[in-house]
Amino acid sequence: MEAINRLLDRARRGESEALSILYRQFLPGIFGYIAARVPDRATAEDLTSEVFLKMVEGIGRLRASDEASFAAWLLQIARITVAGYYRQREHLPTLVSLEPGLWEEEAFEKREALLASHPDLDPAQSAEIHDEWNTVVNAINALTEEQRQVLIGRLILGYDVATVARMLGKTANAVKALQFRALGSLQRVLAKQDGSEQASHLQTRHRGGTP
Amino acid sequence: MNPLPERLNERLEREERRSRRGGAPPDWLASSTHAPGRDPEVDELVALARRLQATPHLQADPLFAQHLERRLLLRQATVHHPARKKMFIRRWGAHPALRFAFVLCLCLLLVGTSMLEAAAQVSNPENPLYALKRWEQGIQISLPRSPETQAELDLQSARDRLNTLATLASPAHAEAYRYALADFEQQYSTAASAIEDLPAQPDRTRLGKELATLEADARQTLRGFLLQLAVPERLSTTDALGRLGDTIPHLLSVQIILPAQPNGRASINIAGDNVQQGAQLLVNNLVIGGQGSFQIGTYVFTIPWSGDEHPQSIGILNPDGTAAQTTAITLQGANGNGNGNGGNTQGAHGNGNHGKKPTATPTPHHPGPASSQGSAIIVPSRPLVIASALPHRRFPQQEASLAVNAAHTHGSEP
Repeated sequence: MEAINRLLDRARRGESEALSILYRQFLPGIFGYIAARVPDRATAEDLTSEVFLKMVEGIGRLRASDEASFAAWLLQIARITVAGYYRQREHLPTLVSLEPGLWEEEAFEKREALLASHPDLDPAQSAEIHDEWNTVVNAINALTEEQRQVLIGRLILGYDVATVARMLGKTANAVKALQFRALGSLQRVLAKQDGSEQASHLQTRHRGGTP
Repeated sequence: MNPLPERLNERLEREERRSRRGGAPPDWLASSTHAPGRDPEVDELVALARRLQATPHLQADPLFAQHLERRLLLRQATVHHPARKKMFIRRWGAHPALRFAFVLCLCLLLVGTSMLEAAAQVSNPENPLYALKRWEQGIQISLPRSPETQAELDLQSARDRLNTLATLASPAHAEAYRYALADFEQQYSTAASAIEDLPAQPDRTRLGKELATLEADARQTLRGFLLQLAVPERLSTTDALGRLGDTIPHLLSVQIILPAQPNGRASINIAGDNVQQGAQLLVNNLVIGGQGSFQIGTYVFTIPWSGDEHPQSIGILNPDGTAAQTTAITLQGANGNGNGNGGNTQGAHGNGNHGKKPTATPTPHHPGPASSQGSAIIVPSRPLVIASALPHRRFPQQEASLAVNAAHTHGSEP
């Protein structure tokens, strides 16, 4: 595979091929980072598009010459984009529509598709899948930014500890510790949410008279 | 035993290698039960990591990926043209010799532009940048252009030179002032000729009006300078005013009637135009005390005369600052004998034919009106020097006048 510094150089000169290679290489990591932080796929796709368009606009001025620096730059853009998304949402008034919203429609369509492809799943199971993912998103949002970036670098982009350390400007041991704490926190949050959901589920059943 | 973060990392790396080889994950990763002899805490975290890696939620849809790639390439086509230019410049600049030449050219351009800019602001001819300004203006004027444009440029240039004079109107810049005044007059004359040569068109009328305005401005400006100037510059300025059509004093003749005895009082009779009441006497460009008075068409000064006086020029200084002098001086003894030395009659330096008052200019060998008044030539027994009033300083024009007088004096000795 072509060295990243040459790829970056070619992309800076405006070569489409180099830009495509970079895009394909980093799409999983950036999409994974964003999808792990926003509640639905459509938003994740919108924000991912925004990040890569910014990459196209800014790559001419970028001085990074190695993979770690480039990944750090892209993740920085992604972080700012996600933060902007949440900031905008804070300022938006909460509207309750009597018609099903776009996200709800999309969720409905996805559940239908899921049910069609997995006939053994019942609607309750598909709703659970959707709710589960929201739980994961909440758990990931509860992590620190460094922990999130370690998880993306190690698990989605598949970088070794040394590369992630360069990306974050930390030592290898610090990255290992961040990785351990990130997975530990995620596990604890998920376990807690699982427990409370099970408890609320049990309470609902009890109120509904279900044995 | 290694600490937990280390053990977790080792396990994750092992799993990563296994998945790259295409091996299936061990059963304990998929289930919540732990393999015997394993590290349960690490196992759970590794299982969580594997679940995260495998979850479809974090994987981009291939259709979306293709669509976005197309959008990016379209966007890149519009964005990256400037970047290509930058890269070209960067590559070109990377060559040491070219880079050096480029930097040198840039520096020269910068310095040259700054100097031209600075020179354009300079109005003092003593400033070294003034020569650069003149050169720049010369280039501008010499560029081929239409006669109207050329006349406009000449007019503007004359106005610039008039403005230059304002900074030099003081005795401290006497030489620069004279130079700038001559420069203004030359440029004014060039502008006037250029406008006169224009075909009879609206442009000519318009520029003619502008020239008239400049002339009036120049008269007003130069008159304003007079009282700030030393005598030689006042003479030059009066002369220039005359050429601009202003009313200036003009001397026709000067007659010095010597006293009968040494240390008596000599009478200096000055005939001329526009000599104002209250004018002061100038002898060899210096103001001599004592008031004169009009007597039958001439202005008469009476001054102490020791017999050592040697006047080369006699002039007057009007109360409004205008000045005039002449070297056409007639000496006459108390007994009626005279000595006409000839010379220049002028409102200022020059040939005595200024403004609208033409006059005959006698020379030592061809006596003019001043010396042709029927006076007898007397030869003083000793050189004439106004000892009490004249300092020993001589101006350049005095030197010339002295030479003329010396030749004349020697030539008329018996």
